Amino acid sequence: MRKITYKIERFDGVNNFVQEYSFPYQPGKTILWGLITIKDSLDPTLAFTAACRSAVCGACAVRVNGQAVLACETPLDAILERFGDTLTIAPIQNFKVIRDLVVDWEPQAARLAEAKTWLQPRDEFDARKGCRQTAADFKKINTQAACILCGSCASECSKLSANDQDFLEPFTYSKVWKFVADTRDKSAAERIQAIQDKGLWKCMHCAECITKCPKGLAPGEDIARLRQLSIKMGYTGNPGARHALSFVKDIEDTGRLNEAKLQVRTIGLISSIAKFPMALRLLRRGKLNPFHFPGKVKGHEQIQAILKAVRESEK
Amino acid sequence: MLNFDVLVIGSGGAGMRAALEAVRQEGLSVGLMTKMFPTRSATGCAQGGINGALQNADPADSIEKHFFDTVKGSDYLGDQDAIEHFVSQMPDAIRELDYFGVPFSRDGEGRIAQRNFGGASSPRTCFSADVTGHVILHTLYEQCLKHGVKVLAEWYLLQVVADQGKLCGIVAYDLKGGRIVPIATKAIVIATGGAGRIYWLRTTNPFTSTGDGIAACFDAGIPLKDPEFVQFHPTGLAGTGILMSEASRGEGGYLLNNKGERFMARYAPEKMELATRDLVSQAIETEIKEGRGFGEGLSAYVQLDLRHLGREKILERLPQIRDLAITFEQVDPINEPIPIRPSCHYVMGGIDIIDYRTCATAVEGVFAAGEACCVSIHGANRLGGNSLADIVAFGKFAGKGAADCAKQRHGFSEGLVGQAARAWEEKFQAVTTRKTGASVVSIRDRLAEIMWNNVGVFRTGADMEEALKVVDGLIKEYQTVMVPDQNKIYNTLFVNYIELGSMLTVAKAVVLGALNRKESRGSHCRADFPNRDDAQFLKHTIVSKQGSTYNISYRPVVITKYQPAERKY
Repeated sequence: MRKITYKIERFDGVNNFVQEYSFPYQPGKTILWGLITIKDSLDPTLAFTAACRSAVCGACAVRVNGQAVLACETPLDAILERFGDTLTIAPIQNFKVIRDLVVDWEPQAARLAEAKTWLQPRDEFDARKGCRQTAADFKKINTQAACILCGSCASECSKLSANDQDFLEPFTYSKVWKFVADTRDKSAAERIQAIQDKGLWKCMHCAECITKCPKGLAPGEDIARLRQLSIKMGYTGNPGARHALSFVKDIEDTGRLNEAKLQVRTIGLISSIAKFPMALRLLRRGKLNPFHFPGKVKGHEQIQAILKAVRESEK
Repeated sequence: MLNFDVLVIGSGGAGMRAALEAVRQEGLSVGLMTKMFPTRSATGCAQGGINGALQNADPADSIEKHFFDTVKGSDYLGDQDAIEHFVSQMPDAIRELDYFGVPFSRDGEGRIAQRNFGGASSPRTCFSADVTGHVILHTLYEQCLKHGVKVLAEWYLLQVVADQGKLCGIVAYDLKGGRIVPIATKAIVIATGGAGRIYWLRTTNPFTSTGDGIAACFDAGIPLKDPEFVQFHPTGLAGTGILMSEASRGEGGYLLNNKGERFMARYAPEKMELATRDLVSQAIETEIKEGRGFGEGLSAYVQLDLRHLGREKILERLPQIRDLAITFEQVDPINEPIPIRPSCHYVMGGIDIIDYRTCATAVEGVFAAGEACCVSIHGANRLGGNSLADIVAFGKFAGKGAADCAKQRHGFSEGLVGQAARAWEEKFQAVTTRKTGASVVSIRDRLAEIMWNNVGVFRTGADMEEALKVVDGLIKEYQTVMVPDQNKIYNTLFVNYIELGSMLTVAKAVVLGALNRKESRGSHCRADFPNRDDAQFLKHTIVSKQGSTYNISYRPVVITKYQPAERKY
């Protein structure tokens, strides 16, 4: 008889260990079905959370072979076909593990509150009359409103894994964008200002948050939207914005990036000099050629034309 | 000892709305306790919408029409004073949600859009695509963050401690900390939701809708009202019971039997698929029973056909319906009909509320709101779109009621709360070290089976006598159940064990209420008493508990304006 094996990364509050469970295969089931089968018939001490089992509550996010998914809506057959009949199940990353697959959301909730993720209604509206908004404006926030706070995006976020002290969870940026884009809200400027020093420019563009979101959100794109608005609002004095503007200028000037200039433009001459030892190391390993002065790329005029068209369309 | 002026238990729409109201009363310490993280609550599963006579979609709609539709929908068992109060609050309550930030779908003039729903005489249901509950839940959570409500997430209610009709506090299990904690509190709001899981897999409810607050209040001496009225939603997915929103019929979906007939023509020729949930559920079960369904036995089903709505409308108005059908039935409703069958959806009965203005119960200091309680505005059958309305309206009243009560209360026994907590410590020790006994799962599954088969959509006296015997046997077996997990950190098995106790407690009240109501009314459909009997049963069932004995009494229904009439659709 065909068997499925879950290798589950467990934690009992003190010790970490991996435990294997095997149970008979059934067609048309989900990852969550497997977890429930284990808890109901093999090991009642296994701890995980699940509630709605229809992909709206976000409680059952886990990592399956290193990828965050909602256990309730993830078809087992497709996963088994891809990975074989043994799967590794682990708690989502970048959260504190409480026990087995259960993680702590309290710190994340505190960070949501820090980013002031709630509507600040415009003065023309009041609680008794409610608000007005066109159907088109509703559509601008509809995608982000679908976030279920499952944490999948945060789990696979490369930036959070590297350092979570100067960056918020991707879902938090999506929430901030939702309120910035909400025509009922009056505090877009305040919000943009508030996130200047909360990691807005630290996203590493790995796009894992976009590929992992089970509800079709794209937090990475929302971060890009927040950055664009931030520059438009005149926040150009920070390294992130300077870096981005420098990129565009290089492309416009020559059609290619000038890494040496990029550094100076992004963090300034003084800070760049401080990085001189790194430049030396790069030189020594042949990563930097001091005698190479790249010229314009072929077809540079076309690049300029494209940039011009983009700028026109954004007006 | 941990203490609060007001502690709200349950973090769905009713609980969070209550907490917001209480925290607005200056100078009170307010806590919001939930056994999960707040946004995991069952409110998030509500798809279709929230009712209020805003007159956006139909200028001829009115509060009066909402009033009458609700009375008629309730099969005249709802209290009319409470219903009138409720419907009159709704337009303001919905506009307030808009002001809180709920992203509502909009009409051409930028107002909140409204759609048709079962049992409504005008398009009155406000919505946000088909994720209305989800966005209301998350918006209320945002407001709780904004107002700095102290959230005790993943704290599980073990007991409501009362002494001589007065609240002393509660005992909770702090799952993450691995501690059993006594909490003294002047007032509590129980907003822990329904108990649909007494039918286990044949329900649209999350795993967590196990009637914890209902049972804890019942055990603390607060009666339950009308527990026999259990709503079966006509369109659960055949395989899993997962909800296909009423919006699917509101937007024009058809129900088809195996002959391809729109069979609702036989049962509700005027309203067709938009008749009330009780009637449509009974119609589907009749079709299946008479051999016009697909498949056999527990897996039999009929079809919900959306194809004629067209791709665009399905994608815009019913995106979640489509996703769920694809994921859980491997059927894309754009191309194929969806297999559906009734599934337990809502309990109209619950903790007996004795004052609908404050949501007070018979025990001083204990208030309740939402599905956990029975006001009663839904009577024998709740209209779609009235549950989200219920939680925001009565959540607010309960929050205010509890806050006002807390301001006036002082001097109650904290000692009893500490004693109760120590008893729970001993209980934890005893059950987790027990070496023999049935498993939680085995009792749970047998409970669900007997409830679905014998106390489901159709009921008879003989079947329910049998169910009562089985449930009593399971309650006895529960006394020696085995909970083999001694780890106090996040012990979900221990939680499941207490949840099972709650389900057994509530299930017995459901069976007793249903057995003694010898008529058919709303969702309570008895094959042996097929007619409504106003002479005998135009009254609320009140079940109370003394020791382990359940007592049944009755209370008149409040009728103000609308005399009972035959309910036709």
